[in-house]
Parts: sequence; structure tokens; C-alpha cells
Amino acid sequence: MTFDPATVAAFVDGELDGPTARRIEREAQADPALAAEIARHRALRDRLATHYAPIADEPVPERLRALLAVDGKIDTSLAARREAKRPRFAAIHWGAIAASLALGLTIGLKPWTPAADIASRQGRLVASGALAKALDSQLASNQPQNAEVRIGLSFRDREGRYCRSFARGALAGIGCRDDGRWQIERTARSEVEGAYRQASSGELAATAAAMMTPNGPLDAAAERAARDAGWQARRP
Amino acid sequence: MRFEEELVDLLPRLRRFARGLARDAGSADDLCQAAVERALKSQGQWQRGTKLDSWMYRITRNLWIDERRAAGRRGAHVPIDDAVVQIAGDGAAEVEAGAMRGDVDGAMARLPDEQREVVMLVLVEGYTYREAAEMLGVPIGTVTSRLARGRETLMHLLGEAA
Repeated sequence: MTFDPATVAAFVDGELDGPTARRIEREAQADPALAAEIARHRALRDRLATHYAPIADEPVPERLRALLAVDGKIDTSLAARREAKRPRFAAIHWGAIAASLALGLTIGLKPWTPAADIASRQGRLVASGALAKALDSQLASNQPQNAEVRIGLSFRDREGRYCRSFARGALAGIGCRDDGRWQIERTARSEVEGAYRQASSGELAATAAAMMTPNGPLDAAAERAARDAGWQARRP
Repeated sequence: MRFEEELVDLLPRLRRFARGLARDAGSADDLCQAAVERALKSQGQWQRGTKLDSWMYRITRNLWIDERRAAGRRGAHVPIDDAVVQIAGDGAAEVEAGAMRGDVDGAMARLPDEQREVVMLVLVEGYTYREAAEMLGVPIGTVTSRLARGRETLMHLLGEAA
């Protein structure tokens, strides 16, 4: 085994840069001792994760929630306004989009978005055109009020990829940076037309929350840094 | 989003973190409660746009350390038997689950505080070494060495198959 224990641990923790991580992966295939060491570390992480994960799923005790007075004490006029503003998302049948693209029947897509925003590359749906450009460069923390594409949350998913939620017209979705492209992972159709809409609300936000690492969404500084670094994935 | 709402969203994770630090569910929620109260009081110190979770974890961890110091137990090892809480239940599965839970809790309780908090932040909460170092106010090298020692102890206590 040519790697010291600290390096192997850092590999399992997702702390190594791409080339070093790939070298370890390669060597582990031919080195049973290294493979066993990696497995030992992974097993500990899994054991701890399995043990502690259910706690985060427990209902939060009332005494804690009460401190924050979110139940009932919110200014109801504000709450009502928020409720009225919240767009309703209906999941689009995923296969239908793929099929319409494959058949070139862009008419199926038209009610929601110009077809040019999404393209099919090697059987996968990816962002293109203005959508791709916005996902590449637009910062959620600093976008014009009238931007065509609105960026919601930026986050890293459990595979280490950067993902961003977006809304354009009546189409909302989540794109994840994969292989130099924004792969469209989820779409939702917003049924509210016209009014300002948040890409991060409703079902899409729940989906994003389920996809992201426990660190939560990127803050403004992290988002900017990720963009400036070209949204490079950090694979564990 | 209102500060309080963001905090509510954070509570499930915060409770998990506190459970790893404190000895039992009751004192973990006491710790969370103290942390939320502190956060509400010093809300003005949190800068919008910076990560609320890091700030809350730091508050929680500092309160825990204060408590441990006040109790004069900093660095003390809790005997494993004390930390194992048998879960009452009729089903064998429940008893088994309780025993499993006891294993990890017991092993964690044996770690010195400074190793336990690093194990929680990196291995359970998924923070990077750098993020953990910033939250704890120590160099990254300190994080990695504490993590390495904590890991070895856990692997030893939980068995090779972990």
C-alpha cells in the first residue's frame, strides 16, 4: 500500500483533489490491502450515518419549536400573502418530455418553454441556449429583477456535483453540472403565469433538499466561488 | 425567509449533532434549547448571507464545551455501561435495534470531547475538514489528527466490520 492512512481517510472523506482520488481508485483495484482499508473507513462512516440519520427524521419536540414561535404566531396577513404568491408545481411526466424530444415533437414542450432551452445529448437531457448560459454564469444572490431565467438555490448533491434550481417562464427545474454540461435532473411546471415566482419554492425545494448534502445550499460567497471555478464537481 | 423560520428548518440536524455530543436525548434537547435561546439573543451577530448552520453549530458546540468545563468533566471518559441505555420494547427487533444504538452511543461516549465533536462534524454532518476547522477555531491539521484518533478508537470498539 503506497498511501499513508491519513491519505486513505481523506479519500473516503472526499477531501482529495481529482487526480489523487482517481489514482487511489485505480490502485485499490489491484491492491487488496488498500481496498480493505477503504472499505473499513467506509463501513465506519456508514455505521455512524445509519445510527444518527433517524434522529434528524424525528419530529422536533414542541418545546424547541415553541421557542421559535413559527406555529401560529406568524403575522397572518404576511402568511396569507406568501400562500397566495406561492406557485403550484405539477410534476411533468418525465418520459413524456424525453419522448417528445426524441421524436422531435417540440410542440409537447412549447407550452412551458422554448425547446431550445433543453436539448438531448447522448440520451440525456441537458440545458442549452439561454438556460445553460444562466446556469453557467448567473448568481442567485445578484440577479436582475427582470432576468429571463431565475436561479433559485445552488447546492452540492450527494455525488459531489453542483446543482442549481431555476425557473423560466412556466418551466422550473433543477440542473446538475455533469461532464461539462447542465444535466436536467428534475422539472416541474409552474401553473401560475406572469407574477414573480421563486424557483426554490414548493415541490422543487423539497426535491432539492432531498438531493443536497447535509451542508445545505451554497451561500452567496460559495456560489460565486463555485461559478468562478467552473462548477467543478468534487467527487468523494 | 425569517431568521426564526430558517432556524426551524435547521432544528432536525441540530438535534442530531447535539445527540452526538450529549449523553442522552434529554440533555441533547436541553443543549439545542440553550443554543436556540442564545441564537435568538445574539441574532444581531449573525451576518445574513453567511451560513446559518455553521453559526448554529458553533454556538451549540461552544455551549456544550462550557457545560462540560463547568461540570469539571472535560476529557473525562464515560464508562461504557453508563452510556448504554436499554430500549424497552416487546419485539426482538426493537431490543436488537436498542443494542445496536447502544454500541455506537457507547463507543462515541468513550471518545474525548475534542475527538467526538470532530467525528460528528465530519463523519456524520458531512462538513469538510476546512469547515470543521473554522467552526472549532483550530487548524486543519488538528482536525485531521483528532479525526484519525477518533476513528481508530471507534473502529476498535465497534469491531473491524464497524
